[in-house]
Amino acid sequence: MSRNWLYVLFWIFVSFLTLFPIYWLFVISVKPAVELFSTPDLILRDFYWKNYVDVLNDRTLRSYMVNSLVISSGNAVLCTVLGFLACYALSRFDMGGKESIFFWTITNRMAPPAVFLLPLFLLLTQVYKMGDFSLLDTRIGMILVYCTFNLPFAIWTLRPTIEGIPKELDEAAHVDGASPWRVIWEVVFPLARPGLAVTLILTWVFAWNEYLLAATLTNFNARTLTTGLSEYVTTTGTEWGIMATISVFTLIPALIVFGMVQRHIVAGLTFGAVKG
Amino acid sequence: MGFRLKLGVSALALAVASGAAFAQDDEFWKKAAEPYQGVTLRGVTEATPPSNYVREVLAPQFEELTGIRVDIETTSWDQMYDKAIKDMESGTGIYDMIYIEQDIVYAYLARDFLTNVTQMLADNPQLKAPTFDEGAFTTFADYFKDEDGGLYGIPMEAFIKVYLYRTDLFNDPEVQAAFKEKTGHDLKPATTHAEYAEIAQFFTDWGKEHDEDLWGTTSQAHTGHPASWYEYVESIAPTFGVYNWGIDAANNYAATVEHGGRMNSPEAKEALKWFLAMRDLAPPESVQSTWTEVASTFAAGRAAQGIVYGENAAWIASDENQSRVVGNVGVALPPLEDGILAQVEGGEGYVGYYDGGAFGLPVTSKNKEAALLFLEYIGQDSVQAQWALAGSRITNTATYDDPEVQALDKELGGYFTMLRDSGKLFAGAPPYPFHAQVREAVAPIFYEILTGTIEPDAGLDQMAERAEQELTDLGYRQ
Amino acid sequence: MQSNRLGWLLLAPTLLILAMFGVFPFIYVLFVSFHQWNPFAVNPEMMFNWAANYRRVVFDAQFIASLGVTAAFVFFAVVSELVIGYALAQAFMKDFPGKAFFRTIHTLPLIMAPIIVGSVWKLMTTPSIGIIPHLLDNWFGYDLNIGQSATAAFVVTVIMDIWHWTPLVTLSLIAALVSLPPDPFEQAQIDGAGRWQIFWHITLPMIRPAILATVFIRLMDALRTVDEVLMLTGGGPGSATRYVGVHIFKEVFPRTNYGYGSAISVVVLYVTIVVCWLLYVGLIAPRNKKG
Repeated sequence: MSRNWLYVLFWIFVSFLTLFPIYWLFVISVKPAVELFSTPDLILRDFYWKNYVDVLNDRTLRSYMVNSLVISSGNAVLCTVLGFLACYALSRFDMGGKESIFFWTITNRMAPPAVFLLPLFLLLTQVYKMGDFSLLDTRIGMILVYCTFNLPFAIWTLRPTIEGIPKELDEAAHVDGASPWRVIWEVVFPLARPGLAVTLILTWVFAWNEYLLAATLTNFNARTLTTGLSEYVTTTGTEWGIMATISVFTLIPALIVFGMVQRHIVAGLTFGAVKG
Repeated sequence: MGFRLKLGVSALALAVASGAAFAQDDEFWKKAAEPYQGVTLRGVTEATPPSNYVREVLAPQFEELTGIRVDIETTSWDQMYDKAIKDMESGTGIYDMIYIEQDIVYAYLARDFLTNVTQMLADNPQLKAPTFDEGAFTTFADYFKDEDGGLYGIPMEAFIKVYLYRTDLFNDPEVQAAFKEKTGHDLKPATTHAEYAEIAQFFTDWGKEHDEDLWGTTSQAHTGHPASWYEYVESIAPTFGVYNWGIDAANNYAATVEHGGRMNSPEAKEALKWFLAMRDLAPPESVQSTWTEVASTFAAGRAAQGIVYGENAAWIASDENQSRVVGNVGVALPPLEDGILAQVEGGEGYVGYYDGGAFGLPVTSKNKEAALLFLEYIGQDSVQAQWALAGSRITNTATYDDPEVQALDKELGGYFTMLRDSGKLFAGAPPYPFHAQVREAVAPIFYEILTGTIEPDAGLDQMAERAEQELTDLGYRQ
Repeated sequence: MQSNRLGWLLLAPTLLILAMFGVFPFIYVLFVSFHQWNPFAVNPEMMFNWAANYRRVVFDAQFIASLGVTAAFVFFAVVSELVIGYALAQAFMKDFPGKAFFRTIHTLPLIMAPIIVGSVWKLMTTPSIGIIPHLLDNWFGYDLNIGQSATAAFVVTVIMDIWHWTPLVTLSLIAALVSLPPDPFEQAQIDGAGRWQIFWHITLPMIRPAILATVFIRLMDALRTVDEVLMLTGGGPGSATRYVGVHIFKEVFPRTNYGYGSAISVVVLYVTIVVCWLLYVGLIAPRNKKG
């Protein structure tokens, strides 16, 4: 019992370190700009809510928020599912050159993004289009583009999980007459839940936070919150308060998504708890 | 803070109020816009107050009047260029209007990215609005013209970088007495670098002695952001007589003294040392300060004087939410070396940048005619006054005479008056098509000078050589 | 073993998407890297110049220096994240009151966009007006100046990265730890193995693939870091935090040096691949083949 409380104390300490910059984000959001350029004070003495009123009244930010949610959720689900299928293939089949393919996927994430913006822009505007419809400035376009860094990530984080699921289980199901499709979804998928949940969360996070690609490849219809944030960095002034306020708001949907998915990590504990 | 969003709230009221003023011209707009019904124009700009006014107020007004929809994309400074360039370079035609900051216009002109508005109006008389007159612009429009006088951008904002000082401190008898005792001079805004330095030293000492958060000057001395380099080449070097970055375009783009340039001339070196000396008297955050933070530092009351961009001068002097020095801001010309003012008035050189921007019409646009109508619309005298109040920018001569603008001018310590009367002493960026390229080539050396890794003299020598190297690589220097 | 056709079918969408948005752009970048191309040069067209860009990369002191500081940054950040992340993941394996709550708090930094992380840390660390230099000065008399001291700026970027990305390591390792079968641990305890023995001989080998996958991800992401650092220090003071991502950004964006920037990117990509390949061949692949 007393050891448990030691853990709690330890976590309170860690949480304090984790939360401090977030606390400071909040402090910035409830201070007038002029007070940011003064001798700092650890304690917040009064609140200035104007930034919140402004952000809540801004229509464009609401549409940015929707775009961000659609793009990151769509991308996370797509990458997790495709990554899961790919890992299943890599783990259960004896395809020639599969280790090279596995390694090759991750090289897509290594590329420094700045120079890849121009070819992506050209591809989206001039190659991947049908008639007047091009993938530039569309949610589906962004969902696909984000696969370049999220799909390799999903494959790499899921593979240890899938490899860890004993092959005897799906072979047994196979022998019982289950179709490969049923084996994948009804035997392997549930067992991979902790890994899938973590992959879903982290791919979602990467898509949610992505800035450079969204800034270049969206204009009006598919702009995301991060590009909205950068609007406040201008030559006239960086609107720290508004940026901070928007970020505080972005924590809310993110927390909801996290809350929903995190339970599945806990659920995985029943599969094999570790005494270290 | 919330300058931009405050606009959104009042936009509707403004739109309604100013709707009546245009009644007599409605006829032309409706008729001219007839063929372009259903067109959506798309522009890209930076999210500054003047741009936001275009998005929130002028664009909806124009749509109501003509039925042509205008979408303005606002984004950050470097993204704006990158997106506009990618679009024009690849000929995609996403944008019908792009924001052109004054210093990049020469690069765009060199690449034939922009439409000649003068020419296009002459070719299409049915598009010429009776209320639009190229002659109505201030001299700032001259920086968007080619040799034949063709206009390539409709000016939308213009600023000068001015010397701000705290009137409450400068007029305080106690401070005045202390200053007199210490220096033997009367305390008044500086006109020379020596005077400026003396005042800066005095107030920094004063802050220390009285344990106040007060320093003698601001300094835009970021050690990793080009803002510091700009402060030096735009605002300090010219006041020592080194113009156009010390590069001599007429002389094969020479930068080193050896080849006939002035980037590492004795004057340039003196200017740099003065800049460094002022940096040492400025508040400690200056080493992380770009244009934004300099303005915030001054607005927070941490500096007695400073060289501050005009676009910030307005809110520093008038916005209580953002500034502690409202009503206590004086405006003056930047301090100069002896003889510079005579040189500038004689037509050689300038005392600082006349910066700002215009809206241009890319040749790749698919809706040129409709876009031209919108550009004419925002260039009219009648829309200028409210825009000036919202964004503290003036681009048309007539705007100075508007009573509301004049009232604001008083509040701003005479900033607009200075813009009108002394605007001619300031000049646009040198007509180089390679601003960002040379800047990024030499700036890393400049940062090393700021951190003290390289001595200022040696650093300037290296910068001049690096600039020539870059110009050779780009093909400008043979 | 089932028919390989099904295997390829399951892989197909992944391969297709990565080819469309990964390989094709890469071929374009490779093509550009053999050209001199700056749209604002006297000649704005692409000019084939053999391997001149690559020759220049090798002698580019600024780039080499940038690689050096990047290597240091990546090393300190990733090693710290791994050690702290593993310790925290293990701590989450215990049952204690409020565990779900603490875990949620611990993941919060992940949801902050890099541009915001950079902004907040900038405001926290700016000399004289930031809370951290203020407190350090009050409590210890230490003057933290990230605008002037190269070391201070470097350390702050590393700490910022640790703060931001350790939760990723923790989460990945939790997923690995909870998926481990319990039998070997029970057996080891019965055999009377100590904690360190269990860690060294059982836990570590079993989660090695997950650790390496995580290290890879962090390694390549740290190599690409741009937004946070650009916002925090702009690559300064001087070039103390001009990491390759920042360096390439400045070459390609403001300087529009497309040809040379592409060559640098290809080199960086190549170096990353080689380093990762060596790690991979040495440490992961053998195990996968066995399994």
